[in-house]
Amino acid sequence: MKKFLLILCAVGLTAVVAEAQVAVGKGQLSGSLESNNIYYGADKKLDELGLAQRPELPFGSHDFLKLDYNLGRFSAGIQFDGYLPALDGYDIATYQQRDTKLTGFFTKYIQWEDTNYGVRVGDIFDQFGNGLVFRTYEDRALGFNNSLAGARVHYNFDNYFSVKALAGMPRLYDVRSRSLFYGADLSLSISDMAGWYGGLIAIEGSYVGRYQNGASEILDINANPLATEYLNMVSGRVNFEVAGFSLRGEYAQKLNNDIYNVNFGADKGNVIHVDLGYNYKRFSASATFRRYEGMQTSIEAMESSLGGGNVINYLPQLTRQYTYMLANLNPYRGCASMTGNEIGGQFDAYYSLRNKKDRSKYWNFHANFSMFNTIAHESFGEFIDGRNAWVDVNFDVERQWSRKLKTTLLYSYQRWDEELNHWDSPHAKYCDSHIFVGDVTYKFTKKHSLRVEAQYLYDSSNSYEGDWVAALVEYNFAPMFSVYVSDMWNCEATDGNYNYASEENELLHYYQVGASFTHSRYRVQLSYGRNRAGYVCSGGVCRYQPAYTGINLSLTASF
Amino acid sequence: MLFAMLALFVGISASAQTLPDVKIENLEGKITSTKELADGTPMIISFWSTTCKPCIMELNAINDSLYDWLEEVDMKVVAISVDDARTVSRARAMTSGQGWDDFVCLFDKNQDFKRAMNVSLTPHTFIVAGDGTIVYSHTGYTPGSEQELFEKIKELK
Repeated sequence: MKKFLLILCAVGLTAVVAEAQVAVGKGQLSGSLESNNIYYGADKKLDELGLAQRPELPFGSHDFLKLDYNLGRFSAGIQFDGYLPALDGYDIATYQQRDTKLTGFFTKYIQWEDTNYGVRVGDIFDQFGNGLVFRTYEDRALGFNNSLAGARVHYNFDNYFSVKALAGMPRLYDVRSRSLFYGADLSLSISDMAGWYGGLIAIEGSYVGRYQNGASEILDINANPLATEYLNMVSGRVNFEVAGFSLRGEYAQKLNNDIYNVNFGADKGNVIHVDLGYNYKRFSASATFRRYEGMQTSIEAMESSLGGGNVINYLPQLTRQYTYMLANLNPYRGCASMTGNEIGGQFDAYYSLRNKKDRSKYWNFHANFSMFNTIAHESFGEFIDGRNAWVDVNFDVERQWSRKLKTTLLYSYQRWDEELNHWDSPHAKYCDSHIFVGDVTYKFTKKHSLRVEAQYLYDSSNSYEGDWVAALVEYNFAPMFSVYVSDMWNCEATDGNYNYASEENELLHYYQVGASFTHSRYRVQLSYGRNRAGYVCSGGVCRYQPAYTGINLSLTASF
Repeated sequence: MLFAMLALFVGISASAQTLPDVKIENLEGKITSTKELADGTPMIISFWSTTCKPCIMELNAINDSLYDWLEEVDMKVVAISVDDARTVSRARAMTSGQGWDDFVCLFDKNQDFKRAMNVSLTPHTFIVAGDGTIVYSHTGYTPGSEQELFEKIKELK
């Protein structure tokens, strides 16, 4: 709690700093600070239901300070990460190899970026194509950072071709991995070469390899002849765009075994990913198809999984990620962890209709569909049929009636196989949810506005938790203050472990109350409430968040 | 520790940066440089993503008022999507599906521009003068805060 007050003081101090202009030599310094803190309070109701275990230390804090220096084509930077200690439900807390309180300058780089070439030494965030074989990135909401410490060079010859090569050791939570990655990526613009400027045709390809001393022992070469110390992956891509139409396709292969658990039998892997897009005036549509088998990768081949941070490629969930509480209650987490494979896709269509005379009046229509199945496979010597894992059909209509009033309606039908998350159960158990959301914003004046959300989840299969209700009221004083209060509860009074709770536990409320203050580049957000155990997803990757009741304080600043 | 960090932060707080030079994809899928944005016209640069609701609200609000603003000042709006490979095609679809055809839409798939501009949460909106000098920035969105952006753009005249 002391630290809490300390942070509050510091925030106050930071917020009053005048916007000075500081040039360092001829270059300039810029930076940002982000701090996310939770104080875990006591909650009798959660304790009684066995839903939450209060962490031993009731406080957690993730802090990031990033500084960059820039002088012409030269730049250098450093980032401090502090997990003081790590928040409950982040993999870094489970898998870190050092102390409980973790601090360090994990990210640093120097870089020279010229017109047609560039060199970077230090931590590298990059991806080849869709990231199917290689992606290093940071996602603070997930506590994820697998930056590659090494070197990268790239060169491009006008728009005709570009080539990139890199090598290094990725970050695995709080340590550098013991494996070395190396790769190259090439892109040829056929349309530029042919002097055709009406559209774009490009052919691209990449290679990524990993060397890990001793990996073959872990992967048990005798049981699986594909397991070696060397992992090799290749990918080929085509991009085509003309007159509002686009096609982007990628096919990638994993040529060796890289699965910590050889029982999957997924020795090699392959993935195909196709994006189609079309837009005409204010109508647009996009569709994605993806199929993969055995494409999971790891930074280090280990005897056990090492969690979500031990991954070098990017196979996210492609389903729609909602901003409404009930539509996000049970997000799709993919088939891969249980079956190692998946086939499916998603489709989006958007249409905007705007009044020509009065631009503040418009309709925005959006429809989305996604469906994913598992592929027939063998697991522990048993043959398992492919089956449906997830369906989501949803649409939303946004109407700006006038400068004052705006309404949004959303409907989503979600169906998922609950058994998929239990070790390869041969039979499906489907749950069906119908989610209805109404969202109204009313502006009283140019600066004062009220936003209200009402949500209902109807469990038509009655095989999951039953119906849910949620509501939110938010009042905004632009541009500085915003306050909100929300609540969400389960009408059937199930206890969150999908069991019907006893009568006195009826209506377990997941309430939240919060406020935010923004001044220019500074933002402070404070909230208090009870949080349901569930999956928090960011960028199609999800992590499990245990239930807790507590205070959240987050602040961001940049300069 | 945190306090020390903040103290350091306060000590070197600075603004008045210029636009960094980062390669970024345009609507046609071609690579352009962010330096090219500084063509003499003042601009609002707004970082958004398909999963960020306040970002979309802000861009829609700017779009509503854009023609009124253009009557008073010469300016442009640059919408930078930070969607990655997973949602970039949805982001492309949304730009026309939301009727943002008066915006310059760019796609920062690898978040290089986001990192270079030190954006930690979206929406994050910058006011940039025609010569590329960053004069103001704001994080978060509350309905009506777009008016402040317009005031800042007007001050550039």
